[in-house]
Amino acid sequence: MRVELELEELPLGSRRLVRAGTVEVAVFNLDGEIFAVNNVCPHRGGPLIRGLVQRTEAGPFVRCPMHGWAFCMTSGASVRPGRAIVYPVALHGERIAIEVEAGPFEVPR
Amino acid sequence: MEVDTFADAALARLTEAELAGLLAERARWSLTYGPQDLELVAHALRCILHVERVRAMSAEFEALAGVQHHDGGFAPRSADAESTVWVSAFCALMLIRGNAVLASGPLAQSVRLAVDYFLDTQERDGRWVDPRWADLDTTSHPVSFFNVVLALGETHRRADVERAWRAGLGFILAAQGEDGGWYDAEFHPSGVEITAHLIQDALVAAVLLEDRADVASSCARGLGKLRSVQAASGSWDDDNVDHTMDCVRSSMLVARLLARHAPETLGDLAGGREPDWIDRGLAWILAARNPSGWPDFPGMESNLERSCDGIDTLIKYRAYLGRDPERLARLWGYAR
Repeated sequence: MRVELELEELPLGSRRLVRAGTVEVAVFNLDGEIFAVNNVCPHRGGPLIRGLVQRTEAGPFVRCPMHGWAFCMTSGASVRPGRAIVYPVALHGERIAIEVEAGPFEVPR
Repeated sequence: MEVDTFADAALARLTEAELAGLLAERARWSLTYGPQDLELVAHALRCILHVERVRAMSAEFEALAGVQHHDGGFAPRSADAESTVWVSAFCALMLIRGNAVLASGPLAQSVRLAVDYFLDTQERDGRWVDPRWADLDTTSHPVSFFNVVLALGETHRRADVERAWRAGLGFILAAQGEDGGWYDAEFHPSGVEITAHLIQDALVAAVLLEDRADVASSCARGLGKLRSVQAASGSWDDDNVDHTMDCVRSSMLVARLLARHAPETLGDLAGGREPDWIDRGLAWILAARNPSGWPDFPGMESNLERSCDGIDTLIKYRAYLGRDPERLARLWGYAR
């Protein structure tokens, strides 16, 4: 499933939650680079859209606001026993296109 | 449901309504329906303990004992094989507190097996480790379990438990920051949730159990740290419902116990009529509630785990209003 939004809807340094069916996607604009991450932390389901974003030598990471698990925003990798789902992003002129896998992706709470 | 923050009858009605909602969702958290997320199970059983429905729901506690591993631990998901410390402690706490009511032989054996698990998994420096949680957070939970083991008079390997308990307390006390908070650069950079966890779950019981002046002083400094970082709205950590509930619950217990057992440590935290930061926190929590249950952040959908935390917070707040520190401490299992 593809989700599209206008670049002007996501200014530099901002973030936005978009939906693809039942899937919530946290979209970030970090200095012009766009990253799309499934909003649900695989630990306890915390909302990654509210997470702290940190630049590191290994790339940008988003840290879940609930219990601090951090995920690479390009690969979803974490040193914790879980992995975030990240989605491919393409820029077509002034439009952002995100390819979202079908769900479900659920944390039972 | 509109709630007058400080009207006990309104809080009681809201608690009942939320509890009815939790029971209506039983298939989503009860092990009697099949495999479950054990953190959620433990959150739900804590509510069952508070409202004294343990006998009526004894099958829940028996089912929890039924998913305990041979090493005495539990896995985050009941059907998984690997025991981990944090969830094991939360489950063990529910078992020992449930069995204080049920007095069941098999459950007592499960509690003893859990004691063995925590004695076997402690590191040499007093900490416990779980890859899902910061070491300080992880350590607070077995210490909390041992608080209850000691408070309820469980005698299994008593000397070993006391030694491990002191080592765990020592690990936590040694890590307190200059400003009274605890921090973990990776899991808890703001220090808010971890400080709230440590003073209520691990430390303050030692003031009750052993009248430890060093622990009372540490708790007072932690409490001061929490109050100093509360937002004007009443919330903590950027409107984080979970962390705000942690801070309110922690502040209530620590403020009440220190006022009774170590009032000299409180200084200006004793306040006037009431520590008003607690009331402001509770008011914010009530405002963050959805028509049914609580979300992780205002405006999000409710989830069962947070709603269990909300029920727990309401019940503890009503006990806090009652001004009896022992009654409040019983809600943590720290008193009979």
